[in-house]
Amino acid sequence: MNTPIRRVGYVVAGLMVLLIAQLTYLQVIEADSLANDPRNVRALIRDFSRARGDIVTADGEVVARSIPSDDIFEWQREYPLGALFGHVSGFQSIVYGNSGIEREYNRELSGRDPVVRIQSITDLSEVFVDEAQTGTVVLTMTAQAQQLVRDALGDRRGSIVVMEPKTGAIVAMYSNPSYDPTPLAGHNTQTVQDAYTLLNLDPAKPMLPRAYAEIYPPGSTFKIVTTASALDTGTATPDTGFPVVREIDLPQTSNTLSNFGGANCGGSLFESFVRSCNTTFGLLGLEMGNAFVPAMDRFGIHDRVPIDLSNPGPSRSLGPAPDSFAENQPEFAYAGIGQGLVATTPLQMAMVAASVANGGLAPTAHVAGQILDARGAVVRTMNPGPWRRAMSPEAAAAINEMMVAVVERGTGRNAQIPGVTVAGKTGTAQVDGDRSPHAWFVGYAPAENPQFAIAVLIENGGEGGDEATGGRVAAPIAANVLGQLLATPPR
Amino acid sequence: MAISGYVLVALSDAPDLPPDLWVLLAAMIGLFVVAHFAVRRLAPRATPVLVPLAAFLNGIGFVMISRLDRDLARTQAIWTALGIIAFVATLFAVRRVRDLERYRYTFGLLGLLALLMPLAPVIGRTVNGARIWVKIGPAQVQPGEAAKVLLVIFFAGYLAEKRELLGAGSMKSGWVFRHLMPLVAAWAVSMLVLIFQKDLGTSLLVFVMFASIVYMATNRIRYLLGGIIVFLASAAIAYRMFDHVRARVDIWLDPFADAQDRGYQLVQALFAFGSGGFTGTGLGLGSVDKIKIPAVETDSLFVVIGEELGLLGTAAIVIAVLMLAGAGFRVATTSRRVFNKLFAGGLTTVVAIQAFVIIGGITRVIPLTGVTLPFVSYGGSSLLANWIIVALLIRMSDEAANDAEASIDELAEPAVPV
Repeated sequence: MNTPIRRVGYVVAGLMVLLIAQLTYLQVIEADSLANDPRNVRALIRDFSRARGDIVTADGEVVARSIPSDDIFEWQREYPLGALFGHVSGFQSIVYGNSGIEREYNRELSGRDPVVRIQSITDLSEVFVDEAQTGTVVLTMTAQAQQLVRDALGDRRGSIVVMEPKTGAIVAMYSNPSYDPTPLAGHNTQTVQDAYTLLNLDPAKPMLPRAYAEIYPPGSTFKIVTTASALDTGTATPDTGFPVVREIDLPQTSNTLSNFGGANCGGSLFESFVRSCNTTFGLLGLEMGNAFVPAMDRFGIHDRVPIDLSNPGPSRSLGPAPDSFAENQPEFAYAGIGQGLVATTPLQMAMVAASVANGGLAPTAHVAGQILDARGAVVRTMNPGPWRRAMSPEAAAAINEMMVAVVERGTGRNAQIPGVTVAGKTGTAQVDGDRSPHAWFVGYAPAENPQFAIAVLIENGGEGGDEATGGRVAAPIAANVLGQLLATPPR
Repeated sequence: MAISGYVLVALSDAPDLPPDLWVLLAAMIGLFVVAHFAVRRLAPRATPVLVPLAAFLNGIGFVMISRLDRDLARTQAIWTALGIIAFVATLFAVRRVRDLERYRYTFGLLGLLALLMPLAPVIGRTVNGARIWVKIGPAQVQPGEAAKVLLVIFFAGYLAEKRELLGAGSMKSGWVFRHLMPLVAAWAVSMLVLIFQKDLGTSLLVFVMFASIVYMATNRIRYLLGGIIVFLASAAIAYRMFDHVRARVDIWLDPFADAQDRGYQLVQALFAFGSGGFTGTGLGLGSVDKIKIPAVETDSLFVVIGEELGLLGTAAIVIAVLMLAGAGFRVATTSRRVFNKLFAGGLTTVVAIQAFVIIGGITRVIPLTGVTLPFVSYGGSSLLANWIIVALLIRMSDEAANDAEASIDELAEPAVPV
């Protein structure tokens, strides 16, 4: 009678094997889809129920922190500075995922970065305590500078970017309007969705970080790029003479390209730059032809300016297509004055100014400066090195002189700061339809030892047909911001 | 001994626990050591693997219960102590299992009573929809756990006596039928349990126990097949007649159809298994504190193991059960007496099938029914009954070794651990 006992034993063994097979199916084969099933809140809980590290400004203000909550997640993310850093901090949302710093440095903030972990653990019991493992992200930005640029913009729609030209560290970057991310970090799905929908319905697009995720025609500020291209391609020197005319004829069409206000403008490249003569730079665009595109691409046109922010990330800048000169010559003239097919982000134009200030090297833009462990010790310092060479040092030196002259006696006189040499370039960018042009100013100061590079964009802030409006609207804002930053250095 | 050591390591592997839990843990380990030495003294020739395996399961269960609720852990430690006392007492009192065989009808009757006790007025209690509890004074017990053991004694004793009759195919069918009557009665009882106690698990368990013992006694596959057909037919009828049976089956077929309500327990179990993955989240780091799972310390404790210890933990438990069953069936095959064979086989089947019913239920292999996971789940009745089962298996293992030596000296080979 051992035979039937054995058979029962085999059946039992078979059943146990069946269990192991099913467990393997659930815990290995189907594990991912079960774990990530939208109805399975375990992964969310794991992410949300740990206290994340703080995001703090370089001057010690808390941008994001986790406070205890009495729901299942135990911790609630909040953004005490609200809209001031909304586009930078981003949010941690159970509905829309993470954005901004919250997304880009999620590993460090949530304590999953192995470096942060190992350095944080002083004794073994801390392995079981989540809070001890989270990292703090210290921004390169200061709350003081950010508040300053927000005040400088006032209720005008637009964007200001300030960075250190040598390091690419962003000092301030604000776009108006902005938004408070706190409601999006709530734990009630419906409330979060309502808040998001409301923000999305706002025609002013408060969730759009205009500084790096929206592109605009750069107008005459792009003449820096045109000049650098002309110098580095050997098309012209600062002394090359150009006709003093009201307008030039455009090939392949009956259109003409005229100076602002139909004024006579021209002379040397240097003088044309100081007076921002459209005719000169239109001619340069035509003269360079296909060589213009790779030269402007050295600045990062046709590319995104890398920055440690995502969802949304930086937008791609646009320009004429490579080797398209033969079929579309007028676009190269328009590109010479930053119109037509050219469109860039304010961050890109700040980078252009920074490149000139930095001897032709474009730095790598970044908003996070340091990662600290739970005890406040520095785990990592961001020092990303240069992004790319935008122009030769010689071209940078020549353009530096031109930009100083622009503020000294040209279109950018409103950017002057007493006792400080400011370098800059104004822009008034025509837009489609009958809306007012965008007012631009890009520059840096002090010119002999640049501390800050700046781009100011006021959407539809200029007055049509008046090249001076970039200087009238945007330049004073830049002077105000640079002056105060230099008077009371942020760090 | 080696496996004992492994158990100690497994237990001390628990995370940073508060001081009083260290005391409890030490007490638990002490209890298992006591059990081990009791076996050495009272049944020295018995297989050495049973106690460590039971202790391993009991220990893992205890660690998981501690992680869920420290008060429950204290109670579980007390129940474990009572279980070990019952274990030692059984070893001490039952020197020969044939003494039990003599009282098979008494035990059968007691088992029946115990099984039906929760249906009695006043003392019967319905918990979580199943009327399987009895409240006597302050204590709430599940007599069904004791009934398992008692009924196995009865079945094994009865069939050891009648197996010749049932196994002989030449007998007239009326004759066979008369002798099958008590077994038919057992089937009827299991159906009663199903219908009135709304307890699919115990019903299935009683039935499988009964069918497998008949098969082991007779080696007639037709009894097994007949039993299965009858059970499936009854189950089909029950599915049509009873809402709670239909609900269980519907949830099994598509747990996500009603994921927030009736399918909640199973859906959460599946999610927890998936989230646990291969290695688990780590002890204490699962989401069980935040996502409530019904019957988490009893029926669903395996889910917490799945999430926090991963496939490594769940597979370890299944393998431990498998090894326990292997040792139990070895006791059955090495025993010389028919009653011992059936008794050991029956007890082993009960423990293994009970583990299968709950693990299979919570992993969606079969419809989910609430039974405890032997040794692992929180619950005094279950612990007590299972420790007594292990004591009885060890007693029979010792007997088998002694019998073997007594009869043929040169072939004497004590049961060797797997």
